[in-house]
Parts: sequence; structure tokens; C-alpha cells
Amino acid sequence: MGDNAQTTFLDEVAALPACGKISECIQCGVCSGSCTTATHWEYPPRKVIAMVRSGLKDELLKSNSIWFCVSCYLCTARCPRDIKPASIVHGLESIALKEGYKPPTKTTTMYKTFSESIVNNGRIYEFGFMFKYYLQTNPLAALKMLPTALNLLAHKRMPLTPKKVKGKADLRIIINKLSAGGGK
Amino acid sequence: MEPKIGVYICHCGSNIAGTVDVEKVAEYARGLPSVVVSRDYKFMCSDPGQDLIKKDIKELGVNRVVVASCSPQMHEPTFRRAVQDGGLNPYYFEMANIREHCSWVTESRKEATDKAKALVSAAVRRVFYHQPLENKEVPVHPDTLIVGGGIAGIQAALEIANSGHKVYLVEREPSIGGHMMQLDKTFPTLDCSACILTPKMSMVGAHPQIELLAYCEVDNVSGYVGNFRVKIRKKARYVDTTKCNGCGTCMTKCPVKVDSEFDEKLAKRKAIYTPFAQAVPNVTTIDREHCTYFLKGKCRACEKFCERNAVNFEQEDEVMDIEVGNIILTTGFKIFDPSAIKEYGYGRYDNVLTSLEFERMVNSAGPTMGHIQLKNGQEPQSIAIIHCVGSRDEKYHEYCSRVCCMYAMKFAHLLLEHVHGCTVYEFYIDIRSFGKGYEEFYNRVQKEGTVFFRGRPGEVTDVAQTPEEKGKLIVQFEDTLVGKQRRQPVDMVILCSGIEAQTDAADVAHKFNISLGKENFFTEKHPKLDPVATMTDGIFIAGCCQGPRDIPDTVAQASAAAARVLALINKGKVEIEADTAFIDEARCSGCRICNLMCPYTAISYIEKDKVSRINEALCKGCGTCVAACPSGAITHKHFTNDQINAELEGILV
Repeated sequence: MGDNAQTTFLDEVAALPACGKISECIQCGVCSGSCTTATHWEYPPRKVIAMVRSGLKDELLKSNSIWFCVSCYLCTARCPRDIKPASIVHGLESIALKEGYKPPTKTTTMYKTFSESIVNNGRIYEFGFMFKYYLQTNPLAALKMLPTALNLLAHKRMPLTPKKVKGKADLRIIINKLSAGGGK
Repeated sequence: MEPKIGVYICHCGSNIAGTVDVEKVAEYARGLPSVVVSRDYKFMCSDPGQDLIKKDIKELGVNRVVVASCSPQMHEPTFRRAVQDGGLNPYYFEMANIREHCSWVTESRKEATDKAKALVSAAVRRVFYHQPLENKEVPVHPDTLIVGGGIAGIQAALEIANSGHKVYLVEREPSIGGHMMQLDKTFPTLDCSACILTPKMSMVGAHPQIELLAYCEVDNVSGYVGNFRVKIRKKARYVDTTKCNGCGTCMTKCPVKVDSEFDEKLAKRKAIYTPFAQAVPNVTTIDREHCTYFLKGKCRACEKFCERNAVNFEQEDEVMDIEVGNIILTTGFKIFDPSAIKEYGYGRYDNVLTSLEFERMVNSAGPTMGHIQLKNGQEPQSIAIIHCVGSRDEKYHEYCSRVCCMYAMKFAHLLLEHVHGCTVYEFYIDIRSFGKGYEEFYNRVQKEGTVFFRGRPGEVTDVAQTPEEKGKLIVQFEDTLVGKQRRQPVDMVILCSGIEAQTDAADVAHKFNISLGKENFFTEKHPKLDPVATMTDGIFIAGCCQGPRDIPDTVAQASAAAARVLALINKGKVEIEADTAFIDEARCSGCRICNLMCPYTAISYIEKDKVSRINEALCKGCGTCVAACPSGAITHKHFTNDQINAELEGILV
């Protein structure tokens, strides 16, 4: 390829971690046939791959498709060409977020608040994480969780203050490395 | 004789001249020691090119020749012949490869020219030390060994035997026939498989030139093209094949029932059995693993009822030695075991079958007499056929098995014929119908009403989500041409298991000293121009042991292998290259290290002279002994120290 060639949508996706084999897809459909949520997707996983290859970026990122992945990885386990459709879908999510597409589900908020808790404490801090999540989505929905929360508190299963891991500096190095790899 | 070297630089059209400055190389060669003439020419391999060499030998007294052109693989024999026609020993020739090793792999013209000069200089210095050598001729034994009695082995055996030459056909199962015998109909013409195969099988059984060695295995192979020595083990059948007439009384009397391998375990056979009614040879065999007498020490019912006293519990394996000139391997394939793909439920759900199981079920001589039925005895009303099971999948086999699309569509046709009003769904990725009459067959089953869904199913499950799915097997897939995930409830699922290499393919390759490719199929000498030969002279391959293929291709390949063998038999002799190893007995200490190292068992120790000696007919010129000899007593003709040192020097100056 010459130096002047423009970077295509396919190039952009293929450069993401674990997405390099996307051009080897044979469109057999085993990913969509295995997908536990595909009936909700505007375009099933196989078609998501086809659309990346055809450069239909806006049409794809505007759709609800990529946001329904629940990371069960059945597509990836069964793919005959080792394409890793789940990784591609997550890669597309990160592109969509960077470019300001608005996700139609709360999943992203869940991921974000969850990973914040990990980054800050080195482990999950349920109280803080759920508090933040409901604050950002629907605070009233938190009321439904109240009985569970009280139960957990009564059994000392949910500390009110975060517990942090030792060696947070090392954790920071690991996270920085991961972030540099493109996984945000 | 003072060496007078002629050097010829080939342009190879623009293949070499496009990158290498051939005139400069020729001019450079003119200045090298002992070179009397140096020319460049458009195509040295052409007749006028070869005539240049012959003319210079006659007129200028050239007595050593260097041609700088392509790889010796292609044209070394051509130029050796030209040198010989010119009146010299053909070994007074050396070839410098300035195409594959130079012009094709070097971009810069200057670098390519410099490299060509170095290669020519090496060849010139080497040829200076060349010595005249004589090729040897050895006779070709006119008998042939064929290993594997499927359609490939049967075809090759008949071709050779019909020309009047003797064939030993070895088959490890009790009868010949192979996988083709298990099939019901054959695509795309729907010939009955057994009907077209059994006449050939009985011809093999009755042919005066074929010695059928069923229930035998090859233990050991030694020797070389034209002169192989083979040890064959006749496994004990515990039945005297000269007495047994296949009447079958023993089978009715035997009390033990065992899963029939031939019927893919859908039916039972006895512990004394023939695999199927038309078995060749039509004699019974006792399965020692299941026979009550061998397990518990009593029974012998078969022996009591055999009118011809053919049963012999004292029989033992016998080893026979044969000599043959050529060997054809037709060891076939096995089918992929789909239980590895858990999501398709083979082995877990009763009504998920493999393709071979279905072949037996649909066969009128099979376990259900051709009735298509579920485990509960009912007829299925809807059947899913899943393509590419174990094929086109990096986790199992990357390749396409080449037969599944066609047999899957044959299944659809047979189902619609056998089960009135049923619906057949084909789940495919791509339909590969490339043979004669194949695309037309695809069209035919479409017209018959088969439903084609494009999509590799994700899973087969019995967990119903709707009332219609209750009690059914559900195929979950994406209808990729519509772009929707769907669930198709069916009564029966047939998995199109792909073709894979035999489990012991690696052992067989090792035994016959041939090479194995990716996924354990035997490697042909050249994928396009020499598909039935192997890198070992005198050993040929045909059928699925070389890679997945259908019956017409297998038969064509078997006939081709037979033709290659017949050519060698007809000629009656083969030429053996003269570049063998030679022991200087004055320097040999008799340590025998070389005896052990030689992969061709060509070296033996001569007790009376206390030295080792090489059988030149067996020596392949591999050079192992030369490197191993601690006394430096072994010389490799045409690769002497002088020659190799001169060649290195030529490159380095």
C-alpha cells in the first residue's frame, strides 16, 4: 500500500487489539447463530463485520447493534477463522464513544463506574460503585435494590468504606500499559 | 587432460537478463582461470543453446561446462545430456543457479550482477575438480505392492494386473471395499455405490495376477525403487481361508453380538463374522477381543457347526516376505468425529447422526433396511443437514473436505424420495459443486423442494422456547441472506463430517519413508505436475490419503499411479545417480559408526577384512556417513572436499 492511501474504517478496526483477523471472515454466520442477544441487534454480529469491511461506519455506529454484546464470547469460541467478533464489537464501542456516538443502553455507564472502582481501589467497592451508577442513570431505581443492600450490610458483606489493595503503584503501571494498548 | 572450461550465461528471456547484466557476467567469466570460452545466450535450454555447448566441445576442445541459468531441478538433466552428446562424461558439468537464487530474489541490478558473478566463479572453480562418473542401472522387479483395498487400491490393482503383471493388494480389514462400500448412492448420477463397486471387488478376488492379502498389514519396508523388500503380517483370522466357503453357519451359531463397524454401530454383527454380505474374500474372521472362547476358554460353537472344519483356534499371525519393484499407497481416510463440537450435540441427542451413519440407514441392505427412522422408530418429518462439520474451521480442519456439499444434497434427494412429505433444510456456508454434472444436481435438489439456509448453525439444542419447539431438536442459526437469527425445529439432524487423515498416517509415512504434509496427508512430489509420485522413487500415492477427494478423482488418480508403475515395469530398469559415497578401505578403522548412521542400510561391516563397505545400489548419496566418519575415510563422489572447497573459494574471492 502506498503512503497516500487513506486509512479506511476497516484499517481503523483491524488496528485495534485482537481485531487483526477481521479481513479473514468468511461470513458463515456462526457468530450470529450463537449470539445470545442477536435478536435485539439491528444488524447481527456477522453483518457488523461485513459493514466494517464495507466502510459503513456511521450507519453501524448509529445503530443499537454493538451495545447489546454481553461478552459471553460464544461467537469467539465458535468462530472458524478465529476472528474474535466480541473483541471487534468492544473495539467498535470504544471508537463510538471516542467519536461522541451516544450509547442507547446503560451498559457503558455500568462498565465505566465498575472500572473506575477497580482503577481507584484495585478491587471492587460495591457501595461506591452502585451509588455512582444509580446517580448517573436513575437514582429512583436504587430503591429497588434497598432490601438486598440492607441484607448485605446486615451480614457484613458490603463495607461502607473502600478496601484498597497493596501495591497500588504497580496496579497503576498495569492499567497504564493496558490503556496504551487501546483498551479504555 | 588440461581443463578447458566453457561458460554459458542464460538470459532466460527477461527472467535473468531483466535483473542481471548477463554480458558483464560473461565477460567476467572469460577472465577466470582455465576458461577458454564464455558466452551469453537468450535461452540455453533451447536446441540452438544446447548446440552451442556441443559445437564448442568439438571445435574449441572444451572439456568442462558451466551453465548459469535456472535451478538444476529443472534443467540439469537437459545440459548433462547435451554435454554427453558433445562427447564428454555428463558429470563434467556444473550448473549455477542465477535465477531462483539471484535474479528473482534480488532487486538491485548491481547486486544481482555481483551475485551472479560469485555464483559463476564458484561453479567454474568447482567444475575444475569434477571427475567422470558412471550412472548405474538396476533392474525393476515386475511385481507391485498396493496398500489399501478401497476404491483407489482396487482400481490401481486391476489396471496393473490387467496388463499381465503381478499385484499384491494388502488390506488390513477382513474385506476389501473401503468407505465406498458403506455408501448408498453416489452423486451426482445416483448410481448405487455397492452395485458399481462389487463387480470390481470380485474381479480383484478372482484375478490370476492379484494376490489379495486381506486382514494383513505391512510390518516393514526396505530397499529402493525397483527393488523393495516388504514384510507383511497375515493377522490370524482363526479361520482357514482355504477351507471356509463363507456359508455363514458359524455366524448364525455364534452367541456373541458386537457393534458392527461396517454399519457404523447402528447394527450388530457376531464375534465370528464377515463385515458385509458381498465381502471379498468371502471368508469369516473371529474377533478375538469379543469371542467367548478367547475370553472365557469355552464355547467353540462355530467350530462345532462348521462342516468344513475351517475354524482353527490355534492359528497364529504369519509373516511373509515379498519383493516388489513399486509400491502404491491408497490408505484412504477416516471421517471427523463430530462429538468434538459439543454445541452440535452428537452423542448427546439421539437423533443427531453423522453422514456415514445416515449412509447406512438409507441403504436398503443397512440396519433399518433403508427406512429413515428416529430412535423411537418413527419417521422424521423434518431433517436438518449441517454442512462443513469439522471442515473449513481452524479449530478442527482448515481445509474444505470437497465432498460434503455434494453428498449433503444427495441426502436431501434421498430423504425426499424415502420419506413422503418431509422437509429438508440444508445449512451451508457456500455450495461447492464444481464437478461434471454437480451444479446441475444442485439445481435438481432445489427444484425438488429442499430448503437452503445460508449460515453455519451456532448450536443444536433440545431446550424449547416455544410450544412448537417442544420435543424437537432446534437448530439455532443466522439466515445470513436475510440477516436475522432464527431457530428451526426439526426431528433429525445430520452432520456432514469432513474427511481427515487416518490416525496412523504418520506411522505409515515413516514406514514407507515418504513425507507428510499439513494435517497428515501424504505429500506428492509436485502439487500440479507430479501429483501421484512421492519424493521417494518407486512409491506412489492415490486417493484420500493424499487429500480429500471424491470417487471420480480418486479413480483417475489411481489409474494415473498405475500408469506410472507400468512405465517403470515396462522399461525394466532404473538409472541410479552416480553421486554415492565410497570408503577408502586403507583408512577405514572398522569402527562401524557409519553402519548405524546410514538411513538406507547401505553400509555393512565385512568381518574378514575388518572394514565397512557401501552397497552402491542402496546408497542414496545423502552424505550422512561422510560427515560421521571419524577417520575421514569416506568420500562422497561428486561432492569431494576438493570440489566443495573450490566452490566456497569461488564465492569468497
